Amino acid sequence: MAIIEVRNLTKVYGRQTACREICLSVEEGQIFGLLGPNGAGKSTLVKILVGLVYPTAGEAQVVGYLPQDTKGRRQVGFLPENFRLHGWLQGEELLIFHARLAGRDGRAARQRATEVLDLVGLAGEGKKPVANYSKGMQQRLGLAAALVGDPRAVFLDEPTSALDPLGRRQVREILLALKEAGKTIFLNSHLLSEVEQVCDRVAIINRGTVVASGRLADLQAGPAAVSIRLGGLSEKLATELRGRYQDLQLEGNRLTLALSDREEIAALVARLVAAGCRIYEVAPGHNSLEDIFINLVREGEQTCG
Amino acid sequence: MWLMALFSFREAWRKKVALIAGVLTLAFLILYGTGLHFITRDVVNTANPAATATSYYAMMQSILLFVMGIYLASFLVAGLAILAAVGSIAAEIDNGTLYALATRPLSRRDLLLGKFLGQAAMLVIYAALFFLALTGLVYWQTGLVIPGLVPALSLFILEPLVILAVTMLGSTRLNTVSSGVLAFALYAMAVMGGMMEQIGAMMDNTAAIYAGVVTSLLLPADAVYRRLVATVVDRLPVGNGQDIPHFLNPQSTLGPFGSQSTPSDWMLLYTIVYIVVLLAAAVYTFKHRDI
Repeated sequence: MAIIEVRNLTKVYGRQTACREICLSVEEGQIFGLLGPNGAGKSTLVKILVGLVYPTAGEAQVVGYLPQDTKGRRQVGFLPENFRLHGWLQGEELLIFHARLAGRDGRAARQRATEVLDLVGLAGEGKKPVANYSKGMQQRLGLAAALVGDPRAVFLDEPTSALDPLGRRQVREILLALKEAGKTIFLNSHLLSEVEQVCDRVAIINRGTVVASGRLADLQAGPAAVSIRLGGLSEKLATELRGRYQDLQLEGNRLTLALSDREEIAALVARLVAAGCRIYEVAPGHNSLEDIFINLVREGEQTCG
Repeated sequence: MWLMALFSFREAWRKKVALIAGVLTLAFLILYGTGLHFITRDVVNTANPAATATSYYAMMQSILLFVMGIYLASFLVAGLAILAAVGSIAAEIDNGTLYALATRPLSRRDLLLGKFLGQAAMLVIYAALFFLALTGLVYWQTGLVIPGLVPALSLFILEPLVILAVTMLGSTRLNTVSSGVLAFALYAMAVMGGMMEQIGAMMDNTAAIYAGVVTSLLLPADAVYRRLVATVVDRLPVGNGQDIPHFLNPQSTLGPFGSQSTPSDWMLLYTIVYIVVLLAAAVYTFKHRDI
């Protein structure tokens, strides 16, 4: 069941289009990653989904409600990107306040505040004024505030930008634990490796438009390079292969070419063996998320001139 | 909404806004009390040797000193109202603290009205204590119990609420500095207009009176002050014919601090409606804007 549904969403600021006819669907219980270069429209999209910004056209629904609907907001948590917390409050007081805004009474709010402080690794720090927290601690506290209402869907905009590697790993573990608990996480992050490690599905957005979306495994299974070390390659077969694969390179006994699908590797090897080649090594290239991301963004830049 | 109101009220205390305002107010009261002591002693006893402490002349002098204190206190209260409200929406958007609040299951109307109520509660307490301190000082130094104490107190409390509403409306649309400048400019205009209106009334100059009325319609803060003065002075006994003649309008003895051109009940009603309409406009603007 789709818990986040976006249909033809467009947001225009004056003469600048931040988002253009975006369509997305996120199933419940998934970790969904939103990627894109700076200024691509990611934060605008997230702000529309949490009800801070109104779309110019199109529609979005989160947990079955429009983003501004307070009934829906009871089931949504949000960690903004450039946020600050009220420094005059103690960490625990801030979480109790947010828990009460999320609909819990005083005692339940206190209990929940203690739970989430513990969850984000701030147990024992709750009595300190927020103004005295380090940047990393504030980011953890922001995450705790996003989770304090026990939401079904959590929107996290760059949740680990201020954290050290240990803190990042801890947040990844929290995200995976939330997924285990059936929560949906909408993750907006620049850290591609982080997205690669936790996300089930991703969408790549560039110049306000979704340029690719789907399961991470499917995106990575696209065009792939393969490098084969072989012997006995005849000139005739080499010419035939050059005609078929435009990117083919032959250096010594190493043949490198790009295939449209990984499944083609086996057929290619079979063809080479049938033609009398001796195969010493087959090394399929790995399509990292970074490669996919950079290729798509570059394609977009070339298309738009 | 009430949770938000309590939050805003606590914020004012915890950020020590009220404490700083309290210290400054105490300094003001000490200065005012000192001046009151010497002015009362010299003016009452030397400017008119025929007057006794209980004479009508002495009473009017005491009222003048009280009204001047209220006039200056209004500046401090207005300043606090503007500084408290100017950051309520604009600054919270600028520094990013509003994002987490505005995505909670709390309508923007409740968020804004909650902030208004919290700040209004702080201002009402502050203004009431300030007013009572001034009346207490006047009583201590001159022996005069301010007539119409309760309605005058209510009007003094109303002044910052008017300014709070207009500043809050500015804060929902403009940035922090712009909304602060707008509120201070409007207040300065209202005070200037009020002064012109009183001078116009003394000189029978209709144009000056109308100029004051127009500025009062733009921001009825000074009109509320003039009504406060009228409330106090109208409750004084008429001139007893000894040191002040029967025909003399007591307002004229207060000069530009008096209320020769007294705002009507309609102006009071307008002020209440003004607050409600501005708050409704603030809710509408805040509800329909991107954050």
